[in-house]
Amino acid sequence: MPRNLMLALAALSLSTGIHAEVLTDADEVIARADLAAYYGGTDGRSEVRMIITDAQDRQQRRQFTVLRRDVEDAGDQQFLVVFSQPSDVRNTVFLVDKHIDRDDDRWLYLPGLDLVKRISAGDKRTSFVGAHYFYEDVSGRRPSDDSHEFVETTDAFYVLRHTPIDPQSVEFTSYITWIDRNTFLPMKIEYTNPAGNVYRRVEVFGVENVDGHPTVTTSRVSDLLTGGRTDMQFRYIQYDVGLPESVFTERSLRNPPREWLQRPEN
Amino acid sequence: MKNTVIRLAIERPRSIYAAVMLLVVATAALMTRIEIDTDPENMLPAEQADRLFHNAVEKTYTYHDAIVVGVVNEQHPNGIYNVRSLTALHSLSNSILALDGVIAPDLASLASVDNIEQEGSGAIRFEWLMRAAPVTEQQATDIRDKVNRLPLLKDSLVSGDGRAATIYVPIASKDLSYPLSREIQALIDELDSEDAYHITGLPVAEDTFGHDMFVQMGISAPLAGLMLFVLMLYFFRSAQLVIAPMLVAMATVIISMGLMIGLGFTVHIMSSMIPIFLMPIAVVDSVHIMSEFADSYGRGGNVKIIISRVVDHLFRPMLFTSLTSAVGFLSLLLTPIPPVQIFGAIVAFGILLAFILTILLIPAYVIRMSPAALDKLTSEKRKAHTDTLLARALRRTGRFAMRRGKLVTGIAVLAIAFSIAGIYRIEINDNPVRWFKASHPIRIADDVLNEHFAGTYDAFVVLTHDGAVARAEYIRNANKLLVDIDAAYAVGIREQLNADPVDSGAYYGNLIATIDDALFDAVGPATVDSLERLMELAEQAQVTSKYFQHPEALEYISDIQDALNNSGYVGKSNALSDVVKVVNRELRGGADSEYRIPGSEAGVAQALMQYQSSHRPHDLWHIVTPDFSSTVIWLQLKSGDNQDMSLAMNFLDEYLAAHPLPADVEMRWAGKTFINVVWQNVMVAGMLKSLLGAFVVVFLMMAFLFRSARLGLLAMVPLSVTILGVYGIIGWAGKDYDMPIAVLSSLTLGLSVDFAIHFIERTRSFLRSSGSFAAAEKQMFEEPARAIARNAIVIAIGFTPLLFAPLVPYITVGIFMAAIMALSGVTTLVLLPALMSCAGPWLFPEMKKRGAFAAVSGEPATA
Repeated sequence: MPRNLMLALAALSLSTGIHAEVLTDADEVIARADLAAYYGGTDGRSEVRMIITDAQDRQQRRQFTVLRRDVEDAGDQQFLVVFSQPSDVRNTVFLVDKHIDRDDDRWLYLPGLDLVKRISAGDKRTSFVGAHYFYEDVSGRRPSDDSHEFVETTDAFYVLRHTPIDPQSVEFTSYITWIDRNTFLPMKIEYTNPAGNVYRRVEVFGVENVDGHPTVTTSRVSDLLTGGRTDMQFRYIQYDVGLPESVFTERSLRNPPREWLQRPEN
Repeated sequence: MKNTVIRLAIERPRSIYAAVMLLVVATAALMTRIEIDTDPENMLPAEQADRLFHNAVEKTYTYHDAIVVGVVNEQHPNGIYNVRSLTALHSLSNSILALDGVIAPDLASLASVDNIEQEGSGAIRFEWLMRAAPVTEQQATDIRDKVNRLPLLKDSLVSGDGRAATIYVPIASKDLSYPLSREIQALIDELDSEDAYHITGLPVAEDTFGHDMFVQMGISAPLAGLMLFVLMLYFFRSAQLVIAPMLVAMATVIISMGLMIGLGFTVHIMSSMIPIFLMPIAVVDSVHIMSEFADSYGRGGNVKIIISRVVDHLFRPMLFTSLTSAVGFLSLLLTPIPPVQIFGAIVAFGILLAFILTILLIPAYVIRMSPAALDKLTSEKRKAHTDTLLARALRRTGRFAMRRGKLVTGIAVLAIAFSIAGIYRIEINDNPVRWFKASHPIRIADDVLNEHFAGTYDAFVVLTHDGAVARAEYIRNANKLLVDIDAAYAVGIREQLNADPVDSGAYYGNLIATIDDALFDAVGPATVDSLERLMELAEQAQVTSKYFQHPEALEYISDIQDALNNSGYVGKSNALSDVVKVVNRELRGGADSEYRIPGSEAGVAQALMQYQSSHRPHDLWHIVTPDFSSTVIWLQLKSGDNQDMSLAMNFLDEYLAAHPLPADVEMRWAGKTFINVVWQNVMVAGMLKSLLGAFVVVFLMMAFLFRSARLGLLAMVPLSVTILGVYGIIGWAGKDYDMPIAVLSSLTLGLSVDFAIHFIERTRSFLRSSGSFAAAEKQMFEEPARAIARNAIVIAIGFTPLLFAPLVPYITVGIFMAAIMALSGVTTLVLLPALMSCAGPWLFPEMKKRGAFAAVSGEPATA
């Protein structure tokens, strides 16, 4: 698997230091992976360009800015997602209060309909705005939703299998994650369906060190059943920008906070 | 040449046997390559424009072949909305999902689709409609209430009356329809349910049809052969003699079919009928030879001399009947439907082959018969041949026709008028599902599902917007702006401007992303200003290109739907406008008054982005392309009859004439139901051309054969009357003019002209030898009339086994074969002598001079 090797090498060169210890507790690995993937710094911003491609290679694009603020590490978080492209969905806004101990709170503003809606948390494994990413992929699946076990530990990866605690709530029977041993970023995830086939794959193609945080810059999710895929590029990434809590209120839905959405000067 | 052939047959019988045997074995070996083709689409050439478009639509919108599982509950007050029924449906749907070959993401059932609904105060919820089977009856009826709010599901996934539900099972390949439907049936058998389950859908129907076609070829055709054998045995009373024409027929069928399969042609419903068509035609010539041989043997004694004389006698009429029959079938090449063309070509080939085999094999066979067998055949039976019921009836018929010529002609004219009136009543209509008998499980499933649902027959109104004009204008403006833009950025942008615009989603997406990146990096006011203007124009062009996201476009579609839904020709229509209305309603609180299209393009775009935030975002691409430049209105029809589809098409044509399509928008039809109409229209027009073409050519051949245009015309009478008569009967009987009926015209032409040629040729030769029309006609109603009558009866009755065929087209052919034989036999034996008695002097001018018509016309003999 040359691609995996390359990913591993890329990750290695970015890492701040080789971890001498080899972790043997799956729960600990997943906890650190959760932190690495979703809790870099105390807050952050990123611009996302999403290219949704179907089996016939027809494309749809979405571009949006994500503002994130952690209430506490590995705990509650707030997200504000503001769309900029295509122009007909510009200023569509999602506001998410992610909770660890209860359902998330989600709001939606649709400027074209001049409508603020609360979205029932319900099922988080639905498509995020038509992409092959799910809502849950964007805000992170709670480690406590699955039980975790080691498949193997390679030179580069902790390979873990995750089995849902409540199988009725999800469409997969299990998934396997390849977690980089140095950065703790999940570099590949494969989902298996009840028929026993791998039907969905998430891959990380690019990782950069931003402000000391190894950060995913390009990734892809592939729907192996329909042949579609979504590529994500993360750009203009910043950590610890000092986002105030007031940004993550319903007021921001109709009035997106311009000063925080600006691209940083390079 | 004729004599060489006859001599060859008589002198070298063993060599002939060997050669024919070799050919039969070789071609029979080719038959192992048989490939059955049951796709009705193949009625059109692969490159036919409507078919190409239909296939492109199926690909663009990802329409798979689907097995349809229908479930009906007639007992429960809530129909299928009860715990037990839904539990069974839920379990079945999930089991089917796990089968190999099922395209799981596109499987549609209550258990696999999404619901969008209100929750609590001002929240909306996207969730599986029936993630788990209901536990209480209340939960079951809750599902009903949800479905009734989702117009795309109601009457498509569950019937409006709640009695029936379907599971659409898209499959990866048609070849899987048989094994998968077996597996699904096995799953159904294990369900805890008393509901009625049906398995149908086009791939299942095609597969079953292919199977039944095999049965027909394997059982009905040999049975027809056996029937022919028994009938000939009755007439000729010598199994040994009758084996000969059977050999000719079998060799003809095997060589023709083997050659066709060897040439790589698939066996289609048309070509599966080739054996049935060839067998009677192959036997006809032999019957003429044997009939005359049986009647003349015993007078001479020397078999070789008698058989040579008989073949010599019949060579010309047989050659011409074969040529004209072949022309009749070759005329099918004028019908641009490949299976019909192949059918015509192979039958024509078979007819000529049968002629060659007849004049080689029959004499070769007869001279190798033992003298004892020959004596048994003839000497003591001769009297019997001339003294049968048939023989006596024919003599009476001849006398009647001669004496009452004017009466017979008058009756014929009336019959023709009656037939023409009938022809005007003919309804052109077809429906491949009706090729199954009414009692067939597929027909039953079809009836049951269409009784409950808005219709299981699909047709698609495809609307496409051409964005080239707007794009060209943007490129023009962009090129002006690019002059002011730093070359470092202009190069990349120009590249995007010149990119392939086929998917405008990718085209404008890449273009805007490139401009966006440039905007971030660029410095210098001229560049930045121009880039900003470029971006603005690009975004406008992109919005324009998403034509079917515009409220006006959706309102237009919605109006078309309303008109179609109210027309009575369409069970239901489903379109993008329905999706947008449902999402808008749920976003705005769920009130019925909000079931409408938002007022702005952005509003529509944002509603659709919400729809895409479901478990099945790809469902959207079944009704619109991702760049929103093309969309379909999916129509469900309760009937697959071409007439009903045509009514819907005519209705839409009229509607569009009154409500013209918006600028740059094109409308085209697609869907299997539409394709059936296309090939039927091609067929009807083509058949008329074929028939007229054959008519002219056969007439010219007749005129040439008889060296007389008048006799040529006379020869056309029986086939014309028969064709008019047969189609007149079809009209009066109210039988739809469909594919098998259309092909019958060639068969009629081919067989009816046979009888006429024999009758006229023999009459003329008797006229010449006897010099008297009365005497000639008396002779005609001996052996020649018996040969014609025997032929007609053998073929007519020989095909009664077809009445037991599993498929309707074969039954139709069986019935009309009998009708054609009866009609053309009667017209030849009654109308021809009657016409001759009235117009003999005009028809045979040289015989008139010799006074041959004195007794009939009352003129004194002058010679």
